[in-house]
This record gives sequence, structure tokens and C-alpha cells, in this order.
Amino acid sequence: MLKLLSPANREVLFMGNEAIARGALEAGVNVASGYPGTPSSEIIESLATVGKERNLYVEWSTNEKVALEVAAAASFAGLRSLCAMKQNGVNVASDFLLHLASSGTRGGIVLVTCEDPGALSSVNEGDSRYFARMLEIPLLEPANFQEAKDLTRWAFELSEEIRNIVVLRSVTRMSHASGNVICGKLPVKFRKAHFVYDGSIMDPLRGHVISTPVVAKHSLQQGKLKRATVLFENSPFNDYSGPKKPELLLITSSACFLYSREAIDMLNLQKRTGILKMDCTWPLPPKLLKKHLNSTDKIMIVEEVLPFLEENLKTLAAGMGKEIGIKTFYGKMDGTLPSVGELNPDVVAAALAKIMKVKHKSLPAAYTKELQKAAALIPARELTFCPGCPHRASFWNIHNAIALDGREGFVCGDIGCYAMGALFPATGYHTTPTLHSMGSGTGLASGFAKLAAFGFDKPILTVCGDSTFYHAVIPALINAQHNRADITFIVLDNSGTAMTGFQPHPGLTVSAMGELVPSVDIAGICKAIGANVAISDPFDLDGTCKILNSFVADKGSLNVLIMRQICALSPEKKGKKIFDVKVNEALCLGESCGCNRLCTRIFRCPALIWDRSKKKAVVDEVICAGCGVCYSICPQKAIIRTEAEKK
Amino acid sequence: MKVRLSKDSMNVIITGVGGQGNVLASRVLAGMLVNAGYYVTIGETFGMSQRGGSVMSHVRISQKAIRSPQMPLGSADIIIALEPVEALRVLIKYGNPDVAVLSNSRVVYPIGVITGELNYPSLTEIQNVLQKTTAKNWLLDATEDAVKLGNPVLSNIIMIGALSATDLLPIDRRSFEKEIAKNMTADKLRINMLAFDAGAKLI
Amino acid sequence: MVSKAGKPSSQEILKKNVLNADLCTGCGACVNLCPYQVIYHDRTVQLHRCDLDDGKCRAFCPRWEIDLDLLRSSLCDSADLTPEIGAVKDYYLSRATDPKLREIAQHGGTVTALMELALTEGVIDSAIVSAGNHQQEQRGFKAIDKVSLQKNAGSKFTVSPIVAAFNQIAAENSGNVGVVATPCQALALAKMRLKPLQDDAGHIDKLKIVIGLFCGWTLAQEKFQALLLLNNINPATITGMDIPVGKKALVIKTGSGEKIISFDHVESCIREACRYCLDSTAEFADISVGSARFGNEWEEMRGWNQMIVRTARGSKLVDLALHRGILEVRKAPDGILKELKEAAAEKKRTALENIVKKSGSVKNLLYLNNSDPLVKKFMVKIKR
Ligand SMILES: Cc1cc2nc3c(=O)[nH]c(=O)nc-3n(C[C@H](O)[C@H](O)[C@H](O)COP(=O)(O)OP(=O)(O)OC[C@H]3O[C@@H](n4cnc5c(N)ncnc54)[C@H](O)[C@@H]3O)c2cc1C
Ligand code: SF4
Ligand code: SF4
Ligand code: SF4
Ligand code: SF4
Repeated sequence: MLKLLSPANREVLFMGNEAIARGALEAGVNVASGYPGTPSSEIIESLATVGKERNLYVEWSTNEKVALEVAAAASFAGLRSLCAMKQNGVNVASDFLLHLASSGTRGGIVLVTCEDPGALSSVNEGDSRYFARMLEIPLLEPANFQEAKDLTRWAFELSEEIRNIVVLRSVTRMSHASGNVICGKLPVKFRKAHFVYDGSIMDPLRGHVISTPVVAKHSLQQGKLKRATVLFENSPFNDYSGPKKPELLLITSSACFLYSREAIDMLNLQKRTGILKMDCTWPLPPKLLKKHLNSTDKIMIVEEVLPFLEENLKTLAAGMGKEIGIKTFYGKMDGTLPSVGELNPDVVAAALAKIMKVKHKSLPAAYTKELQKAAALIPARELTFCPGCPHRASFWNIHNAIALDGREGFVCGDIGCYAMGALFPATGYHTTPTLHSMGSGTGLASGFAKLAAFGFDKPILTVCGDSTFYHAVIPALINAQHNRADITFIVLDNSGTAMTGFQPHPGLTVSAMGELVPSVDIAGICKAIGANVAISDPFDLDGTCKILNSFVADKGSLNVLIMRQICALSPEKKGKKIFDVKVNEALCLGESCGCNRLCTRIFRCPALIWDRSKKKAVVDEVICAGCGVCYSICPQKAIIRTEAEKK
Repeated sequence: MKVRLSKDSMNVIITGVGGQGNVLASRVLAGMLVNAGYYVTIGETFGMSQRGGSVMSHVRISQKAIRSPQMPLGSADIIIALEPVEALRVLIKYGNPDVAVLSNSRVVYPIGVITGELNYPSLTEIQNVLQKTTAKNWLLDATEDAVKLGNPVLSNIIMIGALSATDLLPIDRRSFEKEIAKNMTADKLRINMLAFDAGAKLI
Repeated sequence: MVSKAGKPSSQEILKKNVLNADLCTGCGACVNLCPYQVIYHDRTVQLHRCDLDDGKCRAFCPRWEIDLDLLRSSLCDSADLTPEIGAVKDYYLSRATDPKLREIAQHGGTVTALMELALTEGVIDSAIVSAGNHQQEQRGFKAIDKVSLQKNAGSKFTVSPIVAAFNQIAAENSGNVGVVATPCQALALAKMRLKPLQDDAGHIDKLKIVIGLFCGWTLAQEKFQALLLLNNINPATITGMDIPVGKKALVIKTGSGEKIISFDHVESCIREACRYCLDSTAEFADISVGSARFGNEWEEMRGWNQMIVRTARGSKLVDLALHRGILEVRKAPDGILKELKEAAAEKKRTALENIVKKSGSVKNLLYLNNSDPLVKKFMVKIKR
């Protein structure tokens, strides 16, 4: 029996994302769509596993905007739908989201955004709560795992109540954390889809679903938001705990609630401080807040990442100044809490200790000293491509082609595992100086290639993964072709969305729910755009480098090289070595002139170890994935590969 | 069957290098404890760090409530490390004089060490640090046993087996079997039980 | 990149002083020794950074730390030495006796004939000559018989990384080697002979004969390729090239007849490094061979070579060739040797002038030493 379908009242350990999925199931969600992105992916993934049992349609869409459109269609047809993405995805979806918020929705629809304060696995720490304010839609933020489930379920009700989309915002420490959750009931009846559009244009349930007449619909939309405010005033999800008249009131949301509570415990301030946990963070319910603001003069707002709650609260407080008097606010804006990065109990405790003038008990000084001594022994562990990763070989080829060309060409990077080529320069062999949002590498390359007229004669390359290709690259590629930007566009095709855990994408023949679907051929698309297309196996270093050389030297056409090799972690490859690899010590030149540790110093596969006492390279058999690429780079043929026995 | 915890909450950190099965270990451990009636909170760092970086899971066990998924500095009661230098990395942030450390002794070199830019401490140096900064510690070659069982990734389960034998937490063979049987074929279950037993023998 | 000892690495020295200074001849002496230095088209490329500071790559570069005086005094008989054209034991006009060979050779076929002889006599087991591809891209080619030698006869005016091939072939354990080399390549090989590296396992001892080519300049392959395309010449169809006396043009022979490109255009393709080269006669070869381009007798003389015999082993091979009747020689007309010397001196002066222009000071002669007596001799007129 799948944990996600546990019976009512059963207490289980759910990851935040599973709790959100379970909440949606309890709400009777019919359609779920999304685009993979850490820390959001498990929501759609886990819903997909129960799609059949729960009569659900679940899809991985090509990008977040499309995902939201797919979910919205279900809502228009009276169904309940959920759309999940990471924070960056909200930016992608925002154009449609603006129009959707204005047209209104029918069946309950919830946009789940999972954000990444501290950018633990992102290249930004954007805070998309501002979208809720800007686009005038309600925002909910669960503050523990039970709430992740319950609030999700309620979000559907709220959405139906106000006939508009609701945003549910989670963060890494909620989505990727786990805790006890008591399950609720799963509905037994499933909805049928009906799309009705024969009513008046202003009729939310029977008219055309459209954002015009704009001003009238805008006013309607604001009315919905007011209704949400009223519901928020009495929502049990906003909850105060602490003394009646706390010396300091903490107002907090999301994981920061857990940090705050822990911080209070750490400092034993339970009797002096109170916590107002706000799950409904936009629009803020003024009456509730007035009541709590009146209970104290000092307020600290604890949130991630930007001072969203703080700003909104201060705006409210300014409007009720006469009734509540002058307050002291602590938070990000006055520097009490750091304005960037993620928070944790220690950061909150430090701020609390300062305001409350208490001391946190600390470790014995002698002990701390020992730890400091130990710290000096610990080598940093930089991220790198996995053993056997095709990207290592791909960047090796790219580097060599650029070096041979000699005009100091470079690569515009993109989002996926291969972003590590940009994040850690030596990992990408110093080829990739730019990295932005999905698909931006191609757009940037297209722009760089037009700078020749300004004396910028360098070959411009760009890379993208197969999933990224479908997501946002195609328009940029068309742009490059149409505007005659001579770029070498490289698809690092590893047959899956490896970064986030092998979700299927349009290049594959299987859907999120495991059904057989037609695949969309990248080479075919590129050819149709008019590009010159070649395919290579990046493990074939000579062959790939030759093609790249000719592409890089070529002027006057858009060249596409699809480097195809399955990800080393993919289920079909993992644990299966193609080759047994070892180093013949007698041949290994080590650090002598003639090699100088090419394999361990430059190539940097984590499985190739430098034995400092023997001064020879060694393959760590436990770590080696058996790809055999290192065999091709060793100048001495000291790295020997033999076909591995099939297990 | 719920045993009173010696401390509330009990804070466990499971650490290792991406790909060593850290996440699975923390979920199995947490699952066993939830089955036993505790509140368990896990805070995980994965995603990008899976690519050869340091990973850690905070597992917090309480009789009263869900805790913060990040535990306070200096507050670990037990550190389980699938790689020795990762034990130290966690120890210097979350260690305290009462901490117990169980670490795999099998080294996974960081890329900076491989390239020669950084040094990796010797096992003796690591042992010395553990002696000076922990209440109890075990340095075990879990990977060797795992390789004997046919798959190095089983070292995570071996470490759980070892943990059970320390009696630091209310877990045992039966609770392990019950938890992992949920998601495993009979074949996989058998090899995991072997790994668990091998771990228990190491203590 | 700096080495562990804090010195600039060997690679860095080459990069800064040779490659980035446009002094690289493309000889390939620094290539095929390790994975870091490779030839692409006719450029020496440093693929990845290496931090060793006493590497093989910088040991033999003909454009780094050249002590001409030491090389001459160590490798030549002092009695034979001339300031302008190095050691001269004998000086002839020569040609292959085989007319068929002359037909396919650049001029008199002297080079090919001598190499053939060295191969058949077992002096060497292979000869490194230059083989080009459809893009006029040259590579050192290991010829082991008459057929492959003749196939690669004729002058290729783009640089050939001959020494790179020597590095590779010498490491292969395939016996003794002869090399056809331009002056810069002969210089690199001379450096190897003077001071072989300890760990080169006697590679340089396998070098049994160097036949040098006279050389005014070479062409940069990529630029030349572009020039050919601009003139609607498919590089793949080229069968030969020549610079007829007095024509100020490059004649390109293709399958479909001759095409002529004016020198004004060709000049822009000359490899920059050649402007700083002092040697026009391959002074450090065992035998040097050039054209016999004397004024008005061109049509007749183009079938002949000038040949300078420089060393004892050069003499031995030439004597054998004469004895076997493989070469025929005639005495050079009066004044020709003087003319050659004057031209050689002129190249030296021009190169030094260019070097000073580049460095900005008469004290800094880039790869040469300003206290070198030979250098001093040709520096007299240069003031800065
Ligand atoms: C780039 C270049 C510039 C020259 N400049 C002059 C000059 O200014 N004045 C002058 O008198 N003579 C010059 N020569 C020499 C001349 O062109 C003939 O090579 C020489 O006279 C030998 O003629 P041959 O008939 O004996 O040659 P062949 O019997 O045809 O043999 C020529 C040999 O040289 C090899 N070879 C051809 N091109 C190259 C190259 N680029 N690098 C190394 N080996 C090569 C061939 O593979 C062949 O083995 C030059 C030659 C070259 C390659
Ligand atoms: S590349 Fe080959 S020769 Fe060089 S250190 Fe590695 S194994 Fe040894
Ligand atoms: S075969 Fe070589 S490159 Fe591939 S994983 Fe093993 S050691 Fe690394
Ligand atoms: S020849 Fe030696 S010093 Fe030079 S780049 Fe190669 S390994 Fe380094
Ligand atoms: S001149 Fe020769 S040795 Fe010097 S850098 Fe160029 S190719 Fe290398």
C-alpha cells in the first residue's frame, strides 16, 4: 500500500512535498501539472504514482507556463487542479498567471511554488510572494508538515470560494523536510468536467473566461481578494501561541515558524515572547493583526527571503497608527535579521538574544578550541560531475575545440546539472562564464554572436540539456537562425531531467504517469529551424572534437551538435559498469614531465585518485562508474579498460 | 513500546557524500521511529549537493512535537557519517562534549584533494579528533562489508545496523525489518537484512 | 601559471615569450611530448595548463634562449664556419640523376634522392618528410620507402610540424631517423643534440641525418587557405607551387592548370614568426638544399639545386650518392656563393632589425643573446 494513500487518521512520515500532494488528494484534485525543479519535483512525482488509483491526470509539462495553462483548463471545466513548480517557474508562468488572475477561475486551482532561500540547489534565491501581491491573488504558507497537507486541501476550497487561483508557497526546508502527518479522508466521488460559456461576460461561472472588460474584471478580482481577507481573519491557520502580553511578538511564516519556536526554546523565552504564525500571508487580515499588535510594543518579523511580510505589516500598522500606537519593528529592514540567505534557529536565536538581552549557553571554551583545530583539517568538498558523467566528457570536448580554435571562444551556460560547468570553473574546464535562467544561454549566445561588428570575433557556443531544450530554448534558437547569429549550439542529451531526478520530458516516450507517448525529436526540430545538425557520443572524444572543431570554425550558419549519452545516475545505467578500469602503475608517468597528472589534476573524475606516496594515479573501483573515458585521455595508455562482466 | 528518550529532542545527523545513500538512511531511521510513536522531523539537503558534495540530514526525535528541520549548532546527540571527513565537517558545527559519532572509515576524496590543491587528514588524525571531541565514537569499515555483500551503497544500511547495536536509540532489527519491508522486494529485503546484521556485528 | 617552486612554468614561458609573442615557428619541438601541447592546423596550442617548470616543451624551442655561438662551436667544425651561412664543407649545384624524380621534385630532386639513398643504405629506417592534406595542412610523415618519399616530394609553403613527428617517431622504437627540415626545425633538432634531456631515452641518437631546406619564409596555413578560396582555388586540387625568379608571384599548379597569385597578397599570409628568423640556409643541418635561382638562366636552373654539405655525416652521404651516381653535381658559377652569403646576411640583418623593433631595445633580442658574437656581427648597422 502506497504511503500517499494511507487511510484516514493514520500517522505517517511525509516529506513536505508529499504532504502537499496528500492534501491535494484529500481535496479531490483531478489534474496536476508541473515542471521539475528542486525543491518542488516530488509533488508531481508522487501524485503521478497514484494517478490511476485516484482518477487523476498528471503531467510534466514542457515548461511552467504551459503547466499552469494545463491546470487552468481543468479549473475552467470545473475540476480541481494543482500546478507545481520551483520559484523560477513562477517567473516563467507569470505572464499567463497575470491574465488568469484577472479572468478568474472556476474549479479550485492551486499554484504551488517551492522556493529555495539560501539557494541550496538554485542559482538565485528569488521570493515569489511578491507575485501574489502584484497580481492580487491570495497567498498561503504552511508552517509545518501537517499544515502542508491541511493548508493545501483548504487552498482548493478557498480558490472555489473566491473563484480565483490561490498560491501556496513552500521552501526547501519544508518541501524537502519530513515530519509526522495525520492523514485525512480521501474523497470517494470524482468530478466530471463541464465547460460552460453561454452566460454574460461578467458571470464568473457561465461567461467567457477572459480578462476583459479589463477594468470591470479588475474590480471583480479585487472583490475576491477582499473576500479572502475576511476568510483569513478567522482562519485557524493563523495561530498565536505565547503569553497574553508578550514582551516581544514574533510574527513569522513557513519554516521560519519552526526556527522561531526552536530559538525561543533555546533561550528559554517561552514566558516572555509569543509567536504569531501566519499561514495566510497575502492579503494580511487587518483585524487579526491589530489585535496582536496591540498586545505588545515590540515586534520581530521572521521570514525568508525578502521582507515581504514585514513590508505589508508595516503598511498595515501605519494605517492603524492611531489605534495601535507606535511600535518597534525588528526584522530584515533594520538589519536585526540578515537580508539574504536562509535563516535557521541559531540566526533567529542570536537576534532574539540581542533584543531580549539574554545569553545563549555556549560550549566549553576548551572544547570549541578543539573543534577549531579540527576545522583546519577538513578539506572543502566542491561539487563536481559524477563519475562517468557524460557532461565531463562533453565539456572536455568543448574545451579542446575552443582551445584549438584559439580565438578565445566561450560557452553561454544554462540550467541543469551541466550548470556546474559554470558554477565551478575547473569542472567546466574554464569554458563557461555565463549562467542565468533556463534557455538564456542560447539567447545570450545569439546576442554575443552579433557583436562581431563591434570587433568581437570569437566563436560563441552554448549548451543546454534535453529537458531545457523543450522548456525555453526553442524560441532563442529560432532567433539565432533568423537573425543570422552564428553559434554552435550543443544539446547535452542525457535522456532525462537528471538534475531533478529523471522526470520524463518530451524527448522520451513515456509520460509522468508511465504511459506510452510520442517523443518529440530534438534533431528534427533543429533541422526544421534550418540548423546544420550533427549527433555524437561525447565519450568518443576524437569524433566529437572533430565535429566541434568544424562547427566552431564555421561562419555563416547555425550549427547544432547533439551530444548523446545517458546520465551516469540514470536507472538504466546506475551500478552497471561498461568497463573495468585500472591504472598500470609501470606505465603511469604521474607528475613527471610528459603527463603531469592529466587525469587527476585536469580531467578530475572523482574516481581517479592520486596516490601521494606511490606518485601514481589509481582508480577507486568503488567510485568508478566504468565509463572508460579516462582511457582515452591518458597519454601513456596507462589507464587500462577491459569490458566489464555483465552482472 | 515507546521508550522514554534520554533527552527531548534527540538530535541525529546522518552525513556523507552525494550518492552514498544518505537520504535513504535518514528516511529508514525516521520511519522506524515514527512507527514507534515518536515525532520525527527530518531536514535534508539534497539536489545540487548530490553531485559529489557533502550531504547531511538532520533527524530529530521528540515525544512532544515536530522540531525545526535544522537543528541548532552544537546540539547533535548522534552523528552517523558515511565518510570520515564528513563526520568531522558535521562535528565542528554540531558537536558537543556529549556527542556520539559513528563513522564509516572509507574515504571519498574531494576533488580538491584529487587535484592536489587540498590535503586529506590521515585516519589517525581523524581518530584523534574524535577521541578529543566526542563522548563515544566508532570508526568502522562499512564499505568493505558492503562490497563483500556486492554493493558499496549498502554501507548506509550497515551504519544503521551498527547504530542499532549501540543502543543509543530505541531501534532494533525487528523495527528495521518492518520499516524497509514496506517498499522492498523479498530479494532486496534479504540483502538489506544482511547488511543490517553485518553492521550490528561491527559494534 | 606558476610552478610549485613559484617560477613561471615551462608552458608559461613558451606562451608568453614565444606563442603570444608571435615567434612560434610551428616546428613542433614542443609537441607530442605530453598531452598539453598540440598542433592544430599549423598552430601550437596549449590545451590545458601544466605547472612544471623544467619541462621538455621549452627545452628545444628554436625561439627561446638560443646561443648560436655555442651551437656552432659545439656542432660544427670550426674550420668550416662562415658567419653568413654557417658551416660549409662543400658547395655544389646538384640534381638527381633520375629525370623522373626531377619531374616530381621541387627543383633538382636532391633532397628526395639523398633520403632515398639513406633509406636504401640503411643509414636510417625512416625519413620524416612533409605530407599535406586537402587544406594545405602539413604533418610530418614517416616515409619508409621510395614510393612514400616520392609521393611527398615538392615544396609545401605552409609550415609543417616536422619536429613533432620526430618526437613521436623517435619514441616509437622504430629505428634510426632522417629528417627533412626547414632552418627553424634544424635549429630545434640541433638544440636536442647539444643538450639531450636525461629522460629522452636516447631519442636524439636515432637522428642520423638532417637535410635542411633553404627557406625565406613559410605561409600561415589558415590565412593561406582563405587566400586560396578568395582566388577560387580549391586547395585540394593543388599539385605544386613555385616562386619563379623575377616574377613576384606565387605560381600554383592545380589539376586544371596554373594559377598565379601576386606577391602582394601572398605576403600578407607569411607567418609572422618568419620575420624574426636569421637563418635562410638551415645552418644546423647536415646537408642544406635550396633552389638554384640565378638571374636569367631560370628555365634551365630550376632543375638544379644549390647544396651545402656541412658535416662529416653529410659528406659521407653525398659522397656515396656521387659514387653511386644518384646525384650529379656541377660547379657553381663564380660569385654565386657570394651572392648566397649576401642574401643570407641580409636576412639576418632584417630579422635582427625586426626583433629590435618588436622588443623596443637593442639590448633585448628576444630569443637571441645580444652578447653572442655572431649576432653582434649582424647588429652593427642597427641602432635604436
Ligand atoms: C617553406 C619553404 C620555403 C623555401 N624557401 C626557399 C628559398 O627562399 N630559397 C631557396 O633557395 N629554397 C627555398 N626552399 C627550398 C626549395 O623550395 C626546395 O625545397 C629545395 O630546393 C629542395 O628541392 P628538391 O627538388 O631537392 O626537393 P624535393 O626532392 O622535392 O624534396 C623536398 C622535400 O622537402 C619536404 N618538404 C616540403 N615542404 C616542406 C616543409 N614546409 N617543411 C619541411 N619539409 C618540407 C618534402 O616532403 C620533401 O621531402 C623552400 C622550401 C620550403 C618548404
Ligand atoms: S593520465 Fe595516465 S600517465 Fe598521466 S597520471 Fe593519469 S594514469 Fe598516469
Ligand atoms: S572509467 Fe575513468 S572516467 Fe569513467 S568513472 Fe571510471 S575513473 Fe572515472
Ligand atoms: S612538456 Fe612537460 S612541462 Fe611541458 S607542458 Fe608537457 S608535461 Fe608540462
Ligand atoms: S617554435 Fe617550435 S618549439 Fe617553439 S613554441 Fe613554436 S612549435 Fe613549440
